[in-house]
Amino acid sequence: MRPRALAAAAIVALALPATALAHANLLQRVPNFSARLASSPPAVSLRFDQGVDVFSDSIQVRSSTGKLVSAGPAHAVDGKQVATVPLQRLPKGAYTVRWHVTSFEGHVLSGVYTFGVRVVPPPPTEAYGSAGPTTFEYIVKWGYFLGLALVVGGLAFRLLVVGRRSTPAVDRRFYLVATVGVVASIELGILGFLLRARDAFQLPLGRLVYGDLSPLAQGTRFGTAFIFMTLGFALIAAILFLAWLTDRPVLLWPALAFGLFLISGLSLSGHSAVETGSSWRTELADWVHLSAACIWVGGLAQLAFVVWPAAPALRREAFLRFSQLAGGVVGLMVVAGAYLAYVRLPQASDLWQERYGKVLLLKSGLVALALSWGALHHFVVRPALQQGRGTGSRAISRSLLGESAVAMAVLLVAAVLVDANPPPRPEKQPTRAAVIR
Amino acid sequence: MEPPAEVVHWLFGTGFVFLGLCLLAETIVGHEVWRRRSWRAYVWPAVAFLMGIAMWPVMVFYTSSAIHMLAHGVWAQAMMIAGAAQLGLVRGKLRSSLWELTMPLAFAVSGAAFLIHEQNPWLFSRAAFLHHALGWTALAGALITIARFVRPRSPVFNTGFALIFLAVATLLFCDRNVAPIFGHLSPLAGGR
Repeated sequence: MRPRALAAAAIVALALPATALAHANLLQRVPNFSARLASSPPAVSLRFDQGVDVFSDSIQVRSSTGKLVSAGPAHAVDGKQVATVPLQRLPKGAYTVRWHVTSFEGHVLSGVYTFGVRVVPPPPTEAYGSAGPTTFEYIVKWGYFLGLALVVGGLAFRLLVVGRRSTPAVDRRFYLVATVGVVASIELGILGFLLRARDAFQLPLGRLVYGDLSPLAQGTRFGTAFIFMTLGFALIAAILFLAWLTDRPVLLWPALAFGLFLISGLSLSGHSAVETGSSWRTELADWVHLSAACIWVGGLAQLAFVVWPAAPALRREAFLRFSQLAGGVVGLMVVAGAYLAYVRLPQASDLWQERYGKVLLLKSGLVALALSWGALHHFVVRPALQQGRGTGSRAISRSLLGESAVAMAVLLVAAVLVDANPPPRPEKQPTRAAVIR
Repeated sequence: MEPPAEVVHWLFGTGFVFLGLCLLAETIVGHEVWRRRSWRAYVWPAVAFLMGIAMWPVMVFYTSSAIHMLAHGVWAQAMMIAGAAQLGLVRGKLRSSLWELTMPLAFAVSGAAFLIHEQNPWLFSRAAFLHHALGWTALAGALITIARFVRPRSPVFNTGFALIFLAVATLLFCDRNVAPIFGHLSPLAGGR
């Protein structure tokens, strides 16, 4: 009888609903983030799932020039669950809302978002007050690109170059390098997202911990790419693990296909997708450019850090096969890059007059150095290896490391380039016929 | 589009119940009997690994605060690493028994994430109580799994290991706005 009574009590307890206090959450913003309004809103209101403390400066609304446009202090209504601030009549333009309230449990919650009156607002990452990427953010992005290259290039190398000739030692190192790449991509992706959020919020990290990141995650291309890439890399990590656990390299094919697909997400979140003149051709070229660069850099890393130290017997064949693959992907990378430069730089003088052009020149110089190095390998080392000489040479090993280092430096400049805006395209002059008409 | 947070907590609670019951069954019937079917050895590590993967969507879609996002990311990685190490050991891909220590590490990191994530004292609110309880339960789990590493055949430590997962599940069922355990709580609780 007693066990039955206990079971019945447990079932009743499980069935009963209850209320509990958790962290306060923002439920609704009026106007909402990224909203394009037809007319000026009377106020900005934020509804929370529980009461919050609101201060007079809890909600600040600024125009794109930084002018405060609120018509009075912020205050709480509706049982302290809504924080609101009245607004002046807003002219056409984009507006930034910065808010902070204190929840009843003592946490300072904050957020930033943008809306537009008769204009499409900029993303929250370009809210009034945000300063743009810092040097640290560039370094994080560089690490991210490097991680991506280690995963995608490593997978391509393992499948297309090494194939069935792999040895346990090569596989052990391959999985180690690929794991480093996938973990770096996940962690640096999260760090990059937080750094971008900190810039948009203009808050120290200590206060950012209770920042509402949903407008950034759900209202920007950058946020969508963050979601897409984080989930994608988690899945690639799982597939890599499964391939290692079950000794089935065939599973690496879907991981490679998925990795290449993820690179398209990076292209769609970059400037190639939003700049004037962008089209499916520029997005495709961007994807080809990034994919080819990843295969080249990641493959070089595999040759230098996996095959050369771990499998002397494989060196010759791996070098020759990678040489063929690298020739193709570097060709694709250069053609796609040249096309993108042609589209993004309307005038040749932009190369030395605009910041984007200068960074592109630096990148092109580094690529030229890496290509010369590759050519040296192709025309000097390759024939020697074909004749069965040089597989034990330390000079080749050091030379491979050198080419890898230059290729990695190219990625660093690429990290700076993706955040630089290409120069605006000049307005088309009306034709003489149009002027006469 | 996203399900309510409490529903997600209950889903993970269900996963922990399954995990805990598998471990309890293994302790009751004994290691040898449990592993008469070789696939059974993979069940709980695979569940832990899959729960780690399933935590990633929670991390990226529930971004109402940065600390929640980071905490869920930590739990995702802790579960994936602990599950993966156990799978590697079962499969024979990992030889060193030191890999068993990934489990206490995962518990310790998860517990620390709970405690750092909650800044208020135990009795401030129900959420604060649950976060503290989950954090200390996970830290207790870390100690039990270290003891289990030293004495892997001990029925006490193996039972403790299983019960930790059941305790975590119970606490997860209690969490959030509409909780199915512990009945009604005054809306004034924790308020000022």
